[in-house]
Amino acid sequence: MMAIPVLFALLFVLQTRIDARAQAEAQAQEELMLRSPAAIEKMSLGYNSLLADVYWTRAVQYYGERFATPHATFGLLWPLLDISTTLDPKLLPAYHFGAIFLSQSGNSGADRPDLAVKLVKRGIAANPKRWGLYADLAFLYYWHFQDYKDAAAAYLAGSKVADGPAWMPIMAARMEQKGGSIDTSRLVWSQIYESSANEKIRKMALDTLKGLKAEEDEADLNNLADQYRQRFGRFPSSFAEMRDAGLLRGIPVDPEGYPYVLGADGKTSLDPHSPVVIPEVPKTPPPLPKD
Amino acid sequence: MSTMSGVVAVNTFREAVRDRVLYNLVFFALLMIGAAILVGQISIGIDRLVIVNLGLSAISIFGLVMAIFIGVGLVYKEMEKRTLYSLLAKPIRRWEFLVGKYAGLVLTLAINTAFMTIGLAAALFYVGRPFVRSDASILVAVYFILLALALVTAIALFFSCFSSPMLSTLFTLGIYVAGIFAGDIRNFGALTKNPMMKGVTSAIYYLVPNFHNFNSIAAAAHGEPIPFALIWQNTLYALLYIVLLLVASSAVFSQRNLK
Repeated sequence: MMAIPVLFALLFVLQTRIDARAQAEAQAQEELMLRSPAAIEKMSLGYNSLLADVYWTRAVQYYGERFATPHATFGLLWPLLDISTTLDPKLLPAYHFGAIFLSQSGNSGADRPDLAVKLVKRGIAANPKRWGLYADLAFLYYWHFQDYKDAAAAYLAGSKVADGPAWMPIMAARMEQKGGSIDTSRLVWSQIYESSANEKIRKMALDTLKGLKAEEDEADLNNLADQYRQRFGRFPSSFAEMRDAGLLRGIPVDPEGYPYVLGADGKTSLDPHSPVVIPEVPKTPPPLPKD
Repeated sequence: MSTMSGVVAVNTFREAVRDRVLYNLVFFALLMIGAAILVGQISIGIDRLVIVNLGLSAISIFGLVMAIFIGVGLVYKEMEKRTLYSLLAKPIRRWEFLVGKYAGLVLTLAINTAFMTIGLAAALFYVGRPFVRSDASILVAVYFILLALALVTAIALFFSCFSSPMLSTLFTLGIYVAGIFAGDIRNFGALTKNPMMKGVTSAIYYLVPNFHNFNSIAAAAHGEPIPFALIWQNTLYALLYIVLLLVASSAVFSQRNLK
């Protein structure tokens, strides 16, 4: 009988070694043995809804393991979400998750806004009465493709859904009139922050809003520095000089509380230690996905 | 159902309980407790969806395993143990014996399913969700699962009248899988544009029991209403098919030389 706990202990040690090697290999080569959603659906023998939950949970864990990891790739995020939503077309959180994290770049997402659009459009086809999906589509067109016309059309389509919120037609009008402005971008990300239940998405939205605020502050401070130069013939050497000149009330800080840095050319920038990141909008937007 | 069939049914149920078949409920309870505790942390806002999917799928799978593995031995075991001969020496007709065995296993499955449904309701209650009107679709899904299990039991009983347990299991599983894919089989035939192939696949479609009719797990998980027309149509479909199989089983069994 004593042999049993000893054997279990040996198995435990052996398994941890196997796991360590498997984990190292898994990070080197991302593996998903079955990638065909249609094949998996057939093999599910009618339990497709349960399998959808399994793949969705796996997608969330996959993303969570890689989020904010340097040089992380998200190659399996699309196949996992594709399978989940094929097995269960009404799995709404998967579409919202995909809209944000498939489209984000760097170590926050797969940098595939085209696949995000494809996923959300599929979601709309399966769930035409869900206004949130139209809002996600509008966000993708606005933020990643700078296509303000299609963004407005998506907001308008969402506003016609039975319980579509009152702000959607306003956003549609905003897209048409002031697409690309910081104010509009702030509205879009505010809506994402307020309408999402996913903590990671809310954090991303909040970080982006802070970045937009910083971008706006920099533009305002640059204007004030120009005004100082016009008055005194030179750029200010510090914010204290601008304050003493009556252009500022105090020393300006970014949304995380770090003081801005004033350059010799009058240009304001973020403190290098500040966690705030000003979102980058690509100068040349990627091509729109073909239907 | 005659009195003799009723007696056989009750004894079949008692045998199942004695064989500790209902112990699977313990495993199911542990599964639901584990799911209820874990699911909130990992499922990002779809805890109800996951618990309903997991619970209904488990009810279906556990029930299927019971229906097949007990069903295929319903007649065979009695013949193996030679108890069948003393039974049939009593004033009980062969078809009454079959109907009694069938009813006993279906009763076992129904009680098993009822307890599992209570477990599922408890798990939903634990995750802090109040019961709403749309939860009625969960009960309908459970009812459909029970209809499917009753149909599988009838198929298993049919094969057990003339085949060994191993072959009966394979045949029953094969019919079940064919029933799941019945729609696809017919679609393949339509795609070939060959009239004979179309005819054969259509015949298969209508001959095998269409188990995909009874699958409402996804609808129940999303709280969608299930049309009343589907409920009575599925009930009638299952009843007709079960009667057909019991008649066929009686015909085969009555002709069987038991010596």
